[in-house]
Order: sequence, then structure tokens, then C-alpha cells
Amino acid sequence: MSMGGKALANIRFVWTCWKLNLASAMEYRLSFLLLAGMMFVNNTIWLFFWGLFFNRFPIVQGWELHDVMMLWAVSTGGFGWAAMLFGNFSRIAGIVATGQLDVQLSQPRPVLLSVLVSRCSVTAAGDLLFGVAVYLMVGDTSLRGLLLFGLALLISGALFIAVMVLAGCSAFWIGHAEGMTQQLFQSFIALTTYPSDIFRGVVRLALFSLVPAGFISYMPIGLLRDFDPLFAAGAVGMACGLTVAAALLFRQGLRRYASGNAIAMRS
Amino acid sequence: MIEESGSRWAAGRKAAAVGRIAFRHQLAYKTDFAMRGFFLLFILFVFIQLWSAAYGGDYELVISGFTLKQIVWYLVFTEALTMAAPPLCSRIEEEVKNGDVAIRLIRPQSYVGYHFSVFASEALTRFAVHLLVGSAIAWPFVGPPAFGIGWLGLLALSVGALTVTFLLLMLVGLCAFWVEETSGLYFVLQKLQFTIGGMLLPIDLMPEWLQRICAWLPFQAALYYPAKMAVHFDAALLGRQLAIQIGWIVLLALAVSQMYRRGVTKLHVNGG
Amino acid sequence: MLALQTRKLGKSFRVKRKAAGLSGSFRALWKPTWETKEAVRGIDLDVRQGETVAFLGPNGAGKSTTIKMLTGILHPSYGEAEVLGLTPWKERERLAFRIGTVFGQKSQLWYHLPPIDTFELIGRIYELKRSDYGHRRDDLIERFELGPYLHTPVRKLSLGERMRCEIAASFLHRPQLLFMDEPTIGLDAVVKQRIRELIRERNREEGTTVFLTSHDAGDVESLCSRAVVIHHGGVLIDEPVERMKREVLSRKLVTLKLAEGFDAATLPDIEGACWESRGGNCRLAVDLKLTTIERVLGQLLGRVGFTDVNVEDPPLEEIIKHIYGMREGAER
Repeated sequence: MSMGGKALANIRFVWTCWKLNLASAMEYRLSFLLLAGMMFVNNTIWLFFWGLFFNRFPIVQGWELHDVMMLWAVSTGGFGWAAMLFGNFSRIAGIVATGQLDVQLSQPRPVLLSVLVSRCSVTAAGDLLFGVAVYLMVGDTSLRGLLLFGLALLISGALFIAVMVLAGCSAFWIGHAEGMTQQLFQSFIALTTYPSDIFRGVVRLALFSLVPAGFISYMPIGLLRDFDPLFAAGAVGMACGLTVAAALLFRQGLRRYASGNAIAMRS
Repeated sequence: MIEESGSRWAAGRKAAAVGRIAFRHQLAYKTDFAMRGFFLLFILFVFIQLWSAAYGGDYELVISGFTLKQIVWYLVFTEALTMAAPPLCSRIEEEVKNGDVAIRLIRPQSYVGYHFSVFASEALTRFAVHLLVGSAIAWPFVGPPAFGIGWLGLLALSVGALTVTFLLLMLVGLCAFWVEETSGLYFVLQKLQFTIGGMLLPIDLMPEWLQRICAWLPFQAALYYPAKMAVHFDAALLGRQLAIQIGWIVLLALAVSQMYRRGVTKLHVNGG
Repeated sequence: MLALQTRKLGKSFRVKRKAAGLSGSFRALWKPTWETKEAVRGIDLDVRQGETVAFLGPNGAGKSTTIKMLTGILHPSYGEAEVLGLTPWKERERLAFRIGTVFGQKSQLWYHLPPIDTFELIGRIYELKRSDYGHRRDDLIERFELGPYLHTPVRKLSLGERMRCEIAASFLHRPQLLFMDEPTIGLDAVVKQRIRELIRERNREEGTTVFLTSHDAGDVESLCSRAVVIHHGGVLIDEPVERMKREVLSRKLVTLKLAEGFDAATLPDIEGACWESRGGNCRLAVDLKLTTIERVLGQLLGRVGFTDVNVEDPPLEEIIKHIYGMREGAER
């Protein structure tokens, strides 16, 4: 089958998965609304805190309340779409450790893709809604602004997925990695909700390399407020690069998974 | 056969025994502690960066009575207290869901009392550990805590604070006798604590109108009082705050016992 | 035409060995000692197209490991295998189009949605053309009688209805070889029969090769033409089911609950049977080649005082242990 034909088949497969995921979530309309609503409220309360904070300290390291609101819009929005469409990105470690890859391995679809799209996080709908709502309320709604926001969402979502898949792949080589990756997950998300400029020195360097949360938490300044082409290029490059790295590392991990050992004994 | 005279002693001994078992049980969850410890270090680190940036790195600057050092230590205390509370609501919800609650009701010890012994022993251990961990990160950044008698204030008010937290969690947990999922209510409680309780921001730094609202709610008694007293010891205020805590404890305890009585009746009527 | 062929297929795992206690943990950290566990020892299998094979063995015998190697999920340590003309671990994706799997314990169906939605997804997974998928689906719905609950969420279906949907789904992409793991587990006798019929029908009409793992002797008897018994990683028996039935399934177990006061030591010898355990509950293994149940019960009545009696087929595990014992006996 041609490359194009293969790609088309995968697109159709992913689209059908998304349809089924959404339908599944809709089955429990009440809890769907409740969970999404809870997330929305949770994010609102954080903005309430920031409102109080900036009421006391109007400008901190060049950041104002508006910038932090944009930060939350980008972070929650990006996380929201990523977790709705590729909901398993945060659970790779657990899935690998409990041998649940076997189902996907017996099917003729790319394993990582199949694993990622087989779940849709309902709470993430609240995040996505929140992010978009905040931007529409206080963000730049010109065509340029909206396009930049769209780009920001794409980049942040891709970074969330790539980083978490990379971390989850550790389960191919290390046992009991679930706890560690969960901590990494929470910490990474938390880091993307604080202004990047409060960090200095080595930590700041780490935020733009080892733990690329900085690319997300600098976007309100570097992308939305004062568009910096260098930063934009860096962010896009990082997102693409890490995505490829994640796919490659996963393939390596699969090879190890298939060679057996402790994981396969769990039959 | 309950002996009237010895019953109070017996209750006390039972509580102590339960507390001991809960303490030993806790030591088994080392990974839990490690993960919480890691999260605490991380979040305090982020807060320190944030507040240092807010204060512009100026250690002499005083805002609403707080220096940077005092704010950081304030946050150590509020975080240590917040994370000290074990997941009481989900435990009660579990008990109701799988019927364990019936077993507890049969045992010759008050249901609420039992949960309080478990809670107290767990919360105190966790609080102590969190204080150690929190100090480990605050110390290198803003220096040692030179609060003198402030520590006494912290300890004095912490017991009351944790009791208030226990009662609030109990109220939410007891809802499990009526509704299936208490996680939504717990969520709301938690968020109220974050903001109005003064966990993220000392109440002194909030606008006037909000401070007045906070004064009428129990949340500040559970977090803000002990943390502020630690960094700003004020003997006169200590007495008043202790009294307010006791007031809330009495009020909430009444509410809990009422709710409990109604809940148990409902269980008996419906067969649980 | 061979559907499946293996030559000395084997798999061993390296497992870290840890001595007991704290010092053991330290030693394991410093100088870990590895132990090799042989899960599958060089097995040879030949399965022809259209055969229905029962793959039997106690837990831990190496069944799942073998199936994982045959489906390409696991790479063998040594040996060769060819499934439908392809090497499973080298051409996993190509092979995946032609094989199907059914797990009795793990469902493919989406829990909150009607089965028809899962069918559509399967169509997409296996790249079935729209028109072809439509016809195939409708055909299977008719054969498996799924019409009435095609649009009911799976969570509202009974176990039997669910399994029928599950198995129908596994046939959607016309697999040439179907691996089934405990397909009738938890089902009542009537439903089991129906499902076995449906699988037999597919096998007859489409020539689908069926490779079945089961702990239910009934599955083996009514569905499979051949039985392969695997134990300790090696093939113990590989012969037509008829022959295995004659040799091994001609046993019955009679369990007696002795009456109070009756001494187990005075249990009489019964012709054609032997006592496997003597106690408050004693068990008599009857060889139907030598005697009949009627005769055995007749001999027990009056000579043995009992309050309860049970006559049943020996469980498959026992059959296999018995085979093992037989094999050892034959070798001596």
C-alpha cells in the first residue's frame, strides 16, 4: 500500500476513534458536564488568586495580570485539546507496565497512535473551554491574534503530549515508573501555569531545555504580546523535535517490550 | 455492658490504641510520603521564585506587615498544614459504598471519634514531616526561621486548625450517606481553603472587602491563624484566635453530630 | 496448505534472583544474579488451513507465551515459525491484517456504546472498504442474530449477548486464522452451545483456522478436531480429539461424603476404579473402559455409608496431570 494510502487509512481510523470517544463521553451527560464544569471552576479560582496577587503587585518581572490570564488560556487550552484527542498521553507508563499494549500490537495500526487515541479525557473538555473562553474575553480577537492563539494552542498541546510520552517510555526499561511519571506530569503542568520570568539562572535554562515548560510559559510574552520570531521558531522546533523523539523512543521501547522479560511473564 | 464510671477512660485508651495502629500503618506508605515530599519541595520552590520576584529580591521590604522571609515561611506552614490532612472524604465514601460503615457502627466506639483518632495521628505525623521537608527548602533561600515564640503560637493553633479541618472534611464526607459522589463537594471545599483560607496568599494581602468576608468563615481558622501566628507572634491575638477556633469547633461539631445522627437513621431505614 | 508451522520454537526469560531479607536486597543491587526461566522449550507444531485446534495446558505451561510469539507480540529466543506464510515477529503488521483474536476476559467492544459502533471502528482498523464492510457486517449480524440489540449499549447486554457480538466482531475482517482465549468463560450451557455452533459454522463456510485455548472440556469436545496439550513449555500430546477422548476422557470422578461413624479405612476395593483420597470426603476415580457408573454405584450401595454423592468429569487440569502420569508410565 502506498504511503498516501496508509496515511489516509490512519486518518480515517483516528477520526473514527475520536467519534467513538466523544459518543462514549456523551453517554453520561450529567457527569460529563459536572466533571468538565469542575475543571472550569478550578481554573477560574486560580485566576481569582492571580487577580488578588496582581492587585497587590501590579507588575512582576514585566508580567501583568493580563499576561497571566493569557498564560492560563494557552496552557489549559493546549492541555485540553491534547487530552481530549490523545487522552492516553499521560498513562503510557501504566499501560506499558500492565502489558496492555498487547491489544494494539495484534492490530495493523501504528501502536503509539492507536494507544494515544483510544481515550478521551472528559475533564479536559473543561480545560479547553476555559482556555478558549478566557482568550475570547480578554485576548486579542483580531485575525492575527486568533491565529497566534491557535498556534500557541498547537505548540503547547504538542509539547504536553511529547514530554509525557517521552517520560512514560521509561516504563519500558524501569519497573514501577508510574509514580515517578505521575509526579513529573503534575510538576510539568504546574510549571506551565507560572510566569517563566520568575525563574532565573540554571533553573531558567532547564525550563527551556530539559523540562521544556518554559516554551509554554513564555508564550504570552514571546508569541502573543511582542511576537518574537526567534522564540516562535524555537518553540515550533522544540515541539516538532520532541514529538519525533517521542515516536522514536516509543518504537525502541516496543522492541524491548517484544523481546520479553518481566513484562511478558505477566500473562 | 457499659460501665458508666470507666467509660471515659476506656474511650481514651481506645482512641490511643487506634492512633498507634494508624501511625504504624502510615510508615508502610513510604512511597506516598516520598511523592508528597517531592511535590512539597517543588511547589515551595516555585512559590519562593514567585514571591522573590514580587518583592524584587528586597529582603527589607515590608508589605502589609510581611517581609519576603515571613511570606515564604508562612507558605511553608500553610502548605504543611494543607497537605497534612489525609483523604478523609474519600475514605468515608468508600466505607459507605462497600458497606464497611456497618462494621464501624457496631463497634463500641463512636464513629466520628474513631475517624478522629485515625485522622489526628496521621495528620500530626504528616504535618511534622512536611515541616521538616518545607524547612529544607525555605532555609537555603530565605534563612532560618527566627520566630522565637512564634513556634509556640504555631503549635498551639495547629491542633485547633487541624480539628477544624477534620470537622469540615467530616461534614463533606458524611454527605456520602445521601449522595454517591462527594468528590465534587470536597473539590469546592479545597478551593475555598486555597483562596479564602489563606493558603496561597496571606489574608492581610487581600483587599479589604474580602478580608471582612474571610473573617466570618471557618477556613481562615484552619490555615491562616497558625501560619500567621508563627511568623508574627502576638500574645493578645493568640488568645482571641484560640477562642475563635474553639467557637468554630463547637459549632461544627454540633453540625457534624446532627448530620451523623440523621445519616445513621437513614442507613438504618434503608438497610445501608 | 499450512496455516501455521513452528520448528523448535522456544522462549526463555532472564529473571533477577533475589535472596530473602535486607542483605539479599543489597546483594541483588550490587551483583544481581540472573536466572533463566524456560517458558517454551522448542516446540514443533503443524496446523493445516481450516483445522480447529485446542491448545490446552495448566496455567503457567507456556500457552500465552506461545500465542504471543505466533501473533508477533513476542520475539522468540530461538526457533522458527511461519504463520500464514509470514514470520510473525518480523512482519507483525502484515500478519495482523489476516489474523484475529478473541479474549474471553478482555473485551474489544466499547463498553458505553452499542456494538455497531465498535464494528465501524474495526472496519477502520482493518481498512475494510465501505461497501464490503457493509455487506459483511449485515451478513454476520444475521448469522449471529444480533439484530435486536445492535443499537443497545454493550454495558446493558448480558454476557452471552456480549460474547456473540465479540465473536462476530472478530470475524468482520475475514481473518484466515483466529486465536481464541477462553471464549465461553462464564457463560451458561445453552449459550455455550450456541456460540460453539456459530464458530463451527464460520469454520466450515469460510475455512477459518481456529486456535482455541480453553479450560472447558466441552469447548474442546464440540469445537476442536485436534488437541495439543502443552506442559512445562513442551508439547505433551498432539493428536485428534477423538483419540484423546478415548484415552483420557473416559474417566469419571465419584465423590462421596462419608456418613458419621463410617470408617474410611474400611472402604472396599471397587472393580475398575481406584480410591484417590480417603477421608471425610473421598474420591473414586472410575475408568469407564473397565466398568460403568451403574456398576460402581451398585457396588457402593450397602457397603459404604454416605450422605452425599457426586459424579462428574475430571477437570481439565487433572486430565493433563493424568496424561503426564500416563506418559511417564508409558516411558517406563
